Order: sequence, then structure tokens, then C-alpha cells
Amino acid sequence: MSWQVFSGTLEQGLMYAIMVLGVYLTFRVLDYADLTVDGSFTLGAAIAARLIFSGQNPWLASGLAFLGGLLAGAFTGVLHTKFKITPLLSGILTMTALYSVNLRIMGRPNIPLLRLRTIFSDVAQLPFMERYGVLVLSLITVLILGHFLYLFLETEIGIALRATGDNEVMIRSQGVNTDRMKILGLSLSNGMVAFAGSYVAQNQQFADASMGIGMIIAGLASVIIGEVLIGTTTIRRTILAVIFGAVVYRVIIALVLQLGLAPTDLKLVTSIIVIIALTSPGIKKRIFTRSGSRVGKEEN
Amino acid sequence: MLSVRKILKTFNKGTINEKQALNGISLQLAAGDFVTVIGSNGAGKSTLLNSIAGDFLIDQGEIRIASYEITGWPQYKRASLVSRVFQDPMRGTAASMTIEENMVMALRRGQSRRLRRAISVKEREYFRGELRKLGLGLEDRLTNKVSLLSGGQRQALTLLMATLREPKLILLDEHTAALDPKTAEKVLDLTCRVAAENRLTTLMITHNLDHALSVGNRTIMMHEGRIILDLREGERANMTINRLFEMFEKASGSHIHNDRMILA
Ligand SMILES: Nc1ncnc2c1ncn2[C@@H]1O[C@H](COP(=O)(O)OP(=O)(O)O)[C@@H](O)[C@H]1O
Ligand SMILES: [Mg+2]
Repeated sequence: MSWQVFSGTLEQGLMYAIMVLGVYLTFRVLDYADLTVDGSFTLGAAIAARLIFSGQNPWLASGLAFLGGLLAGAFTGVLHTKFKITPLLSGILTMTALYSVNLRIMGRPNIPLLRLRTIFSDVAQLPFMERYGVLVLSLITVLILGHFLYLFLETEIGIALRATGDNEVMIRSQGVNTDRMKILGLSLSNGMVAFAGSYVAQNQQFADASMGIGMIIAGLASVIIGEVLIGTTTIRRTILAVIFGAVVYRVIIALVLQLGLAPTDLKLVTSIIVIIALTSPGIKKRIFTRSGSRVGKEEN
Repeated sequence: MLSVRKILKTFNKGTINEKQALNGISLQLAAGDFVTVIGSNGAGKSTLLNSIAGDFLIDQGEIRIASYEITGWPQYKRASLVSRVFQDPMRGTAASMTIEENMVMALRRGQSRRLRRAISVKEREYFRGELRKLGLGLEDRLTNKVSLLSGGQRQALTLLMATLREPKLILLDEHTAALDPKTAEKVLDLTCRVAAENRLTTLMITHNLDHALSVGNRTIMMHEGRIILDLREGERANMTINRLFEMFEKASGSHIHNDRMILA
């Protein structure tokens, strides 16, 4: 792998890691299989691209992308908690609705951002950043978000949210409104996912209505890879693990491409990675029994 | 402290599985009362406790705790008044979280949670002190995940958590039934001790008739969603397990066919 390909892969990995933090928050912390992700990733890209295309400040556009994701996640949360729709279906409903919403936002299936001002073109103008601006900005962003996520999960609200994913009966009997916790978790998660979408769109210099397809499985693969390689003994470690997992996942994808597979085969490869992880006993044991929560859950 | 008035609760109304679990039950507890609850399987004991805790809303009747009319309150809101320990040791704690995290959640029971660091140094010391009193060596394992504890240790921890923030009422639903006999005695001793120390108002379901008479200051027997016996003071002091059986048969007009109760 050439240095250029490698640094590009690293950039991508770190950018997608922002999304993986969100996937970790729902899949692992809340124990909620949230399929909103495919839609909210594109939502973030769509919002940012549309605003940037119409001449708005790219930093503002990225922030609004985050906000859009927050709303999408909250919508899924409300469907699930208030209207008692299953987690899977709530996510699918939002994801499907978002497909139309995203096309409305963009006004067409894709928006090119070539030669427009983006957060990355801004950073590239700083000293020494011409070459590594994307890498540095992505790294800083994911580290800051990861750190905030860690701090959040150690707050009173944060541990109530974790307990909601672990033992809902228990935390409700301690006076926590678990519906609100789920809405909060889904919201934050999709906020990060959409934020990642806005980064990816600005980096690849276009947004596309179908760019979110399969994102959830890519996120899950990254989470699993990170957990297996780094471990999950503490929250801090797990957060570092999923960031690392996101980068490793991108490296695997890059290697697969080098082997001569077509980019269109990547979704198949990703699914196979996840299937292997979910079915191989050794890995499964590490992922599913270590926390204890999934063992306890079956007994509830 | 607790006032339950003419509660009705029917499950699966209008289906073939319709089941009237509570049949106009009324019960008053004074502050500091420790009431043991017995009755055959399906008598409605758990349903009574669950309706007080707010797992579901009752069909009719009224529930008051202290000065609050809580009949329509959602469960999470009742947590400021009521704490509970379940039969299953898995239910009372979050397994993937540490002992101190579980404790701090209990310490904040019924309070609004904020965006501030969950556990302070002072609280950690307080937890250590409380755990030391259990005599299980848990005071040195604050940052261990609860999944590493035995069932008895988890139940003792749950009990401690239930009293960290003094509740108006504590509900115990066969909380020693899943433990081996020795551990069960230990947890029961602990129950009596914390109840006495804090003068807690307590409702304890048990299938052990011996415990039912020896623990607490009052015993009620339930049958088909009603209270059919209410023993206090002298009457209770003179009660024997055998006479309890007889009274059950007389009051309910039926024979006990529950081996769990007979074996107890
Ligand atoms: N959530 C529920 N849904 C349907 N039926 C229930 C439910 N909870 C209890 N029941 C029924 O109500 C009756 C009383 O149950 P319960 O209160 O658990 O009895 P116990 O005295 O043994 O604790 C039983 O017939 C039980 O099957
Ligand atoms: Mg019961």
C-alpha cells in the first residue's frame, strides 16, 4: 500500500470513527439496534452539502448537520418509546422517511462540492496543513468527541443511560425515566453519525442520496473489530477500541480493494466480516459475555 | 405510611386468559411496620407489591404513601418513595456496571440526574463504609463489575442499595428465595438489621412460614387477591405454623395444594 493510499485510508478511518462512536452508543451502551444510521449519515451529508453549495459557512453547515442528526435520532426514539414500535422497525421507518427528506434537502440525487469552501479547505490554509489537514482535523474531531462521550458516560445522566441499556427494570425502579434516556441516546448517536456524514461529504467533495447505504453494518463491523482487538474492560478503553476499530476496518477495506475486488463488492465483504464475527464462537464469547449484561438480560 | 384501598386488578381483560389478580384488597401500614406476606402461589402477593411500585396502573382503588396519592403516578416517579428487592438477584443491579456505579444510581433514587460527574471522592468513602458493614469483603471491590459477584452478594448489594436513600416504603418479593439456605439466612438477618436501624416500613413476601412469623411485627395471608388473615401482637405471638395452616384452610374454605408452602 502506498503512503498516499495509507494516509487516505487513515483519514477515512478517523472520519468514519465519528460515526462509529454513535453506533457504539446505541448498539453497545443502549443495547438498541438502531437502523436510523443509514439515513442520518446521508442526512448530515445532505444538510452540509446543500448549505455549502448555497454559499454558507462550512463550519456552520457541519454544526447544522449534527443538529439534523439529533432530530432524526429523537424521532426514532419517540416512535419506539411513545408509540411502542419495535427498535428495529422504528429505525427502519425513520431511515426510509429520511431517504425522501434527504432528496428534498438536496433538491437532486447528488451535489458536487468541487472547489467550494469546506472545513477541510479552511484547514488546508493553515501552516503545515496543506497535506495533512484532513488527517489532523479528523483526528482532533474524533478525539474530542470520544473524550466528551467518555466524560458524558461518567456523569449521573450518563450512567443512567448505560443502566437503561443494561437493566431497564432496575434503573426505572431507581427513578429514571428510561424513555427519555433512550431518546437522548438515540439522538446523540445520530447527531454524531450525521456529523460524520458532513465530514465525509466535504472530504470527497460531493454528497449523494445513497451514500449512507450499509453504513450501519460498517459501523457494527468497526465496533466489533475494535472490541476484539483492544477489549472493553472500561468505558475509556472501549471508546478507544471502537475508534481504532473504525480505522482497522478501513484498512481491511483498502486491502481488499488492492486485491482487485470491485468497490461494489465492499458491502458484501463488510457483511461477511460481521457474519464471521457473530458466528465464530471464540469472538462471539469475547463480545457477548464479557460485559455480563447480555448474559443477565436473557435471565430477566 | 402506606394505605391501599379497595384495589382491583385484572390481567388480560376480555380474553380467555382473564385473571383477576387483586380483588378489592385493602391494607394500612403504620410507619415502621414490618409486615410479612404469605399465601399460596398465584394469590396475588407479587401483584400487590407490583401495583404499589407502579409496574402497571390498577383498575380501581387508591394507593397512598405518606401524604402522596400515587395511584396514577408512573413507576419512575414512585421511586422517590418506594424501593424494592426482587427474587431474582439479576434484576436489582446492572451487571456490566461497577459496584460503585450501581450504588450511586441507588443513592440518587428519585432525584433528577444531572450532567455532573457521578461519583465524588466523599461518596466513594461512604460506599466503602456501607459495604464494610455487610461483612462480605465488597468494600475493596468498588470498581469491580457486578457480574463478578455471587447471587448472595448481589442480593445483599441490592438490599443495601434499596436503603441508601431512605425510602418511605421498602418492598421485598421473596428476596431470599433464590439463594442457598445459608446465604438466605444471612440476607434475611441483614434485612432485619437495616429495617430496624432505619425504622423502615416494610412489606416482605416470603414462602417460609417460619420467617413469616419470626420476622417483623405483623403477618398477612392472601388468597385469591384478598387478605384472609391479618395477625398482630398477641395473636401473632401465639401463632404456630401448624395453626397457620389450619386458619388458612378455614378462612379460604379450601385446602392448600401448594407444596412450596407446605415444604416451607
Ligand atoms: N403481568 C401479568 N400478566 C398476566 N397475568 C399475571 C401477571 N402478573 C400476575 N399474573 C397472574 O395473576 C395471578 C397472581 O399472580 P402473583 O401476584 O404473581 O401471585 P403470587 O402470590 O404467587 O405472587 C396469577 O394467576 C398470575 O398468573
Ligand atoms: Mg410472587
